[in-house]
Amino acid sequence: MSRDRLVVGRNVRKVDGVKLVTGGAAFTDDVQIPGMLYGKILPSPHAHARIRRIDTRKAKALAGVHAVLTYKDVPRVPHTTAGQAWPEPSPYDTYLLDSKVRFVGDRVAAVAAESRAIAERALALIEVDYEILPAVLDMEQAMAPGAAVIHDEPDSTKIYDREHNIAGYILREIGNVEQGFADSDYIVEREFRTQRQQHCPIEPHITISWLDTDGRLVIRTSTQVPYHSRRQVAMILQIPVSRVHVIKPRIGGGFGGKQEMLLEDICGALTLATRRPVKIEFTREEEFYMARSRHPQRLRMKMGVTRDGIVLASQLTVLATTGAYGSHSTTVQGNTGSKVLPLYRAPNMRFECHVVYTNNPVAGAFRGYGCPQGFFAQETLVDEIACELGMDPLEFHRKNVIRLGDTDHLSAQLGEGKEGLPRLVRSCGLPQCMERAARAIGWAQKRKSLPNGHSHLRRGVGMACTMQGSGIAGVDWASAFLKMNEDGSFYLQVGASDVGGGADTVLAQIAAETLGVTLDKIIITSGDTDITPFDVGAYASSTTIISGGAVKKAAGKVRAQVLDLASKMLDAPVDKLDCGNNEVFTTCVCRKAVSMTDLAMQAMYKEKLQIMDGASHFNTDSPPPFCATFAEVEVDTETGQVRVVHLATAVDPGTAINPMQAEGQVEGAVAQGLGYALTEELVLDAAGRPVNANFLDYKMFAAEDMPKLTTILVETDEPLGPYGAKSISEVPINGPAPAIANAIFHAVGVRIRKLPIRPEDVLRALGAKRAANLEEEALLTP
Amino acid sequence: MFDKVEAFYRPANVREALRLLQSGKGQARVVAGGTDVVVDGDDSVRFLIDITHAGLSYIRRRGTASVIGATTTMAELEASPQIQSLAGGLLCKAAHSCGSMPIRNLATLGGNMANGSPAADMATPLLVLDAAVVMADAKGRRRLPLAEYLGNARSNRYARSLVVEIVIPDPPRGKGCRWSFQKLGRTAVDISLVNVSAGLHLDSRGRVKWVRIALGSVAPAPMRAPGAEQRMTGRILDQALLAEIGAEVAREVSPISDARASAEYRREICSVLTRRALEECSAPAGCSL
Ligand SMILES: Cc1cc2nc3c(=O)[nH]c(=O)nc-3n(C[C@H](O)[C@H](O)[C@H](O)COP(=O)(O)OP(=O)(O)OC[C@H]3O[C@@H](n4cnc5c(N)ncnc54)[C@H](O)[C@@H]3O)c2cc1C
Repeated sequence: MSRDRLVVGRNVRKVDGVKLVTGGAAFTDDVQIPGMLYGKILPSPHAHARIRRIDTRKAKALAGVHAVLTYKDVPRVPHTTAGQAWPEPSPYDTYLLDSKVRFVGDRVAAVAAESRAIAERALALIEVDYEILPAVLDMEQAMAPGAAVIHDEPDSTKIYDREHNIAGYILREIGNVEQGFADSDYIVEREFRTQRQQHCPIEPHITISWLDTDGRLVIRTSTQVPYHSRRQVAMILQIPVSRVHVIKPRIGGGFGGKQEMLLEDICGALTLATRRPVKIEFTREEEFYMARSRHPQRLRMKMGVTRDGIVLASQLTVLATTGAYGSHSTTVQGNTGSKVLPLYRAPNMRFECHVVYTNNPVAGAFRGYGCPQGFFAQETLVDEIACELGMDPLEFHRKNVIRLGDTDHLSAQLGEGKEGLPRLVRSCGLPQCMERAARAIGWAQKRKSLPNGHSHLRRGVGMACTMQGSGIAGVDWASAFLKMNEDGSFYLQVGASDVGGGADTVLAQIAAETLGVTLDKIIITSGDTDITPFDVGAYASSTTIISGGAVKKAAGKVRAQVLDLASKMLDAPVDKLDCGNNEVFTTCVCRKAVSMTDLAMQAMYKEKLQIMDGASHFNTDSPPPFCATFAEVEVDTETGQVRVVHLATAVDPGTAINPMQAEGQVEGAVAQGLGYALTEELVLDAAGRPVNANFLDYKMFAAEDMPKLTTILVETDEPLGPYGAKSISEVPINGPAPAIANAIFHAVGVRIRKLPIRPEDVLRALGAKRAANLEEEALLTP
Repeated sequence: MFDKVEAFYRPANVREALRLLQSGKGQARVVAGGTDVVVDGDDSVRFLIDITHAGLSYIRRRGTASVIGATTTMAELEASPQIQSLAGGLLCKAAHSCGSMPIRNLATLGGNMANGSPAADMATPLLVLDAAVVMADAKGRRRLPLAEYLGNARSNRYARSLVVEIVIPDPPRGKGCRWSFQKLGRTAVDISLVNVSAGLHLDSRGRVKWVRIALGSVAPAPMRAPGAEQRMTGRILDQALLAEIGAEVAREVSPISDARASAEYRREICSVLTRRALEECSAPAGCSL
């Protein structure tokens, strides 16, 4: 197609925007099903315990209580809650309900009652006699001899080494790292630590389930993975997939936390037990510790470079904890290696990782999926190396980062739980990202002029480069279906799950562009397992490239049918036809045209033909989007407080199908990235209980905290993406932490290698540096 | 939350409010802006008594004092010309630091005191201003020094009383009188890790004639720093004295460690913020507040 694009690349309004801003009934909780009961889960008060005896009689006797379920009442089916393609690469170590609890917040029992208050009262009436077991709370102790075994049940599968609490283990090497270090002039090795961050979606997890008039189980749920949830719920409740109907309405944010089958199974079980509609919604507190969080990691990173700053070898050794269950355990951690190390063109790389169980809240998928941890380590280390070599970090990056035409071989070794596929860089805007973000922050000038003055406020600038993927190569796939309506509009059905990021709009834009109609002529339904065809769901930055690819294919097929009929109507060969602005026209001088409406009427009532088609799509490669993050910070040397003054983020998303939405994704990602860098951490006490499970104590970045943001889209044309698109929503979250840590070093000369960077850690580091300086001076004075 | 609440009352005056409180037999709870009460969500509460229509929203002059009704909101304080001109706008600055705009539109001064939080941001400026609290109960009204009230606000000594108003005697005024409010939180909307208020009156030769230092979030209740105040009186405020005072307040406070900050860090911040407050108070006129 040679003509200019009419819909793709334009800032059209979100197709669901009006409904959302006017408070239309759009979200899971916006329906009230007659006879609906309230479900509530009894959380374990202990980090590790066996249920010796559980007595539900008093709870059941309470007026208004309709069901109380314990492990005795439900099927025992080992599974994972990770919403991944079958067979899921995560261990099958989880049970609907179990006789053992493995973290504070683990399910003990579930109640369905006529009100939330009654349900809560019923929970209090359940008598549980626990045999308290020694708990493993510190991940560094998890593999130690004698540590309590968290998954001692014999029926769990796919656990790497249950005796030592190891959920997963990864070791991959390309080239020869030892040789690489031997050849290096300069080697630096450092240790980094990252924390437990929570997704904090404004809409917590919520599920409503009921039996329809055919007795099928309908599950209306806030999910990123309706199809995986359907399959998993059917398996866990032991009913056929055909008896389950999952509906994903509008979603108030997922960020990976809803790539998880979390409430659907227990809510469905309560519906089956009561034959009544049941709603379970997490409170904010429950969301913090009973849902998922980002894997905390300890990372040891070693890099070897030549005198002139060429990376020869890099090695990353990680210890991570998945908490009590192995949801996304090896896949998240695999990314920490496979998406991070290949940013540099080192011929020798080694990645080793232990993912251990602890009796802590469960970690899972979270925007960035293992990359924020890895990039924090790598980009902070690289900054240190550049500074030690007396080299501008920007120059160091220019010399070493992956380029157009390069192949990343580490990815070939590290796929989704198995061997992956090599990654070829077919589009790369990273050099422009670096240059443009550097200019926005005033890099060249500020690296020299800052830090200046003697006040207690010191400014500095720092940078980081990051990349991600676009879908899981060879695993993620999607499908789409289109049919034409009488007025020349099209009904688009996709399994893709818009979780608030705007996928429906982008997919509708791709369909409209391909079919030559305006956006209002596309009516989209997404994420309903009865109505829409399959899609793996919203994760791995896959929706635009994979689901969009399916939409483009399906639309291409439908377009061919439209042109066939138009060819007849206009008496012109198909290759002389084009469509645009809701009509099909000849491209020759005669300029004959037929409107889509007339064409649709002709098809339906003369030809007796429903114009319709569908397509499936997957890729064997995962084109990386690239990102450069530059931060200017101001450090208060007396309080240790760090204020981010300006954050410039330049991203290469391929083609931005909707630039405004793409910028919104960048801004949302950096807001979460800033919290990750500076304030967010779910803190547990010595018994594994959360101590800050609310927004007064757990601090996210809010509007007032945001620095000046500069967001730059560096568009490239990705051959594997629909209209050249890759992805955008994850990659910008990786940059803020290392860019800020590096800016702090530039400002005050201390390296912080632990997240979040709390004021008191900065202050302590400043104190230590002052003491070291004094000591040095003392040594130098005769 | 509030699952046991049976009735929500909105009395039109203090007398009625007190009667309802009395008949609630300990299971009634006063609600003003609700920004603390609702967060608490205390499940033992059976009656809520909304006092925002009881005629306690006012800012007045009475003799040589400013008087602020208990249900006056943070937003009203910020916008009041009378409060803006009191003590260099000290109370406005503190009120402005409370929560976000929607919170300040609801949160009241009386609620901030009655909630009894050691971190209450309005407490330290009021301590510095020698404020008093007017309480009402079945027996009538009485006036208490704010410090005494704050020390017991969390006990049930005042369970059947209402805070009616806050009385602020006119503070020292003139060229040498300056004020400062300092707050450190983790994000823009945050409970103070530490807050410090100071008032300083220097004589014409630069000696400390009168001084008040109060610190919040570093002891069971917001507190004055009498040791530091005594050390300063009559002396020239130079760098050495500032350092001495910083060290002294760090000795006087008794902070705790929690998920938000450690005790050591809070202690150190007490010194820093106190020094900053005193520096702001002694900076050449025209470049602060
Ligand atoms: C998001 C958020 C941010 C916040 N930020 C800050 C902050 O930065 N700084 C700060 O200091 N506080 C902050 N707070 C706490 C709160 O807003 C303040 O303490 C506020 O002043 C409380 O006033 P209120 O009118 O809302 O009190 P309410 O919640 O209505 O009442 C608080 C308590 O006082 C009692 N009470 C209220 N009025 C009276 C009265 N006249 N007589 C007797 N008892 C009474 C109530 O029974 C209750 O126990 C924040 C709160 C939230 C939710």
